[in-house]
Amino acid sequence: MPEPTKTLVNGTLVDTARLGSGLGSIYRALDLVVDGYGLDDAALVVDVPGLGRQVLHAGRRPIGDDSTHLHDAADGLYTEPPLDEPVVQELLLALGALALRYDARPEPGVGPGIDPGEQGVA
Amino acid sequence: MSLDELELELRRLRGVLAVGFQEADGLLLVELQAGPDAYPELARDATLIANQGAVGPVAVEVVRWGDRGNASRDTRLRLVEITNDPAAAEIHVRLALEAAEGVGRASTGHGLLAPVEATVAAIRVFLPDLRFVAGWARLVETTPDRRFLVVASVTDPDTQEHRRGAAEGASPIAAASRATLAALNRTIAPDLAPLL
Repeated sequence: MPEPTKTLVNGTLVDTARLGSGLGSIYRALDLVVDGYGLDDAALVVDVPGLGRQVLHAGRRPIGDDSTHLHDAADGLYTEPPLDEPVVQELLLALGALALRYDARPEPGVGPGIDPGEQGVA
Repeated sequence: MSLDELELELRRLRGVLAVGFQEADGLLLVELQAGPDAYPELARDATLIANQGAVGPVAVEVVRWGDRGNASRDTRLRLVEITNDPAAAEIHVRLALEAAEGVGRASTGHGLLAPVEATVAAIRVFLPDLRFVAGWARLVETTPDRRFLVVASVTDPDTQEHRRGAAEGASPIAAASRATLAALNRTIAPDLAPLL
């Protein structure tokens, strides 16, 4: 059996996906991409039923005056500097869509899971 | 309520496109970016949710955007680059309004105020009658990943009216320039619209 590729295998991300919320998983994935590729910034734009088009900025940081126009950008992974990794972009987009659909399920009393690395709001 | 739960509740509000959080001096700033289908009471509902979900003081800011192609998306000046001219001891800030660009200069001897002055000067390339002048800039936080949060203030000397903005950047200078734009962009948008 070959060894698993370590590049995108991160215990924290996998743990969050297993036990935590969809939102938490997306942010972990964005952090992983930023760290793994030495990027300055990243954001994901994804449109899902129930929530509509959503923009998620790495680190949950505000977008501010949105000089990059993320608010009307098409679905995709946006990074600074640009990342030429189509597979990573598609995987992030797929993860984002699935994770938000999971969180947006209209099940009464079911909220997002517990993010293993996330504390409550201070 | 966890941060995930709070963010999800805010994202469920009609028209919300993005939710961001920032903590400074014990205050949790919640920023919502809202699209054209957002409703008038969005700020009220978001404030109620944020206050229920967070511990401690909370401020909610809603940034509203119009339809795609609406002039509101383009009436904001964009920071293109910041450069230094060591020979002249100057900092240069280049801003853009769509394809048009303007450069403002200031002495690097003014410290963190220099990018605020240069940004205001660059805005004046587009709006010569801009009534605000640079006031002050303060570094309020350096994050563990070496991002810098700066608050900048500009003032109308005649009316003593102040505009303050906060922004982060890879350097205090970049953050100060962005904070200046954050302070002024919405105020000057109506004056920029005829230039498009």
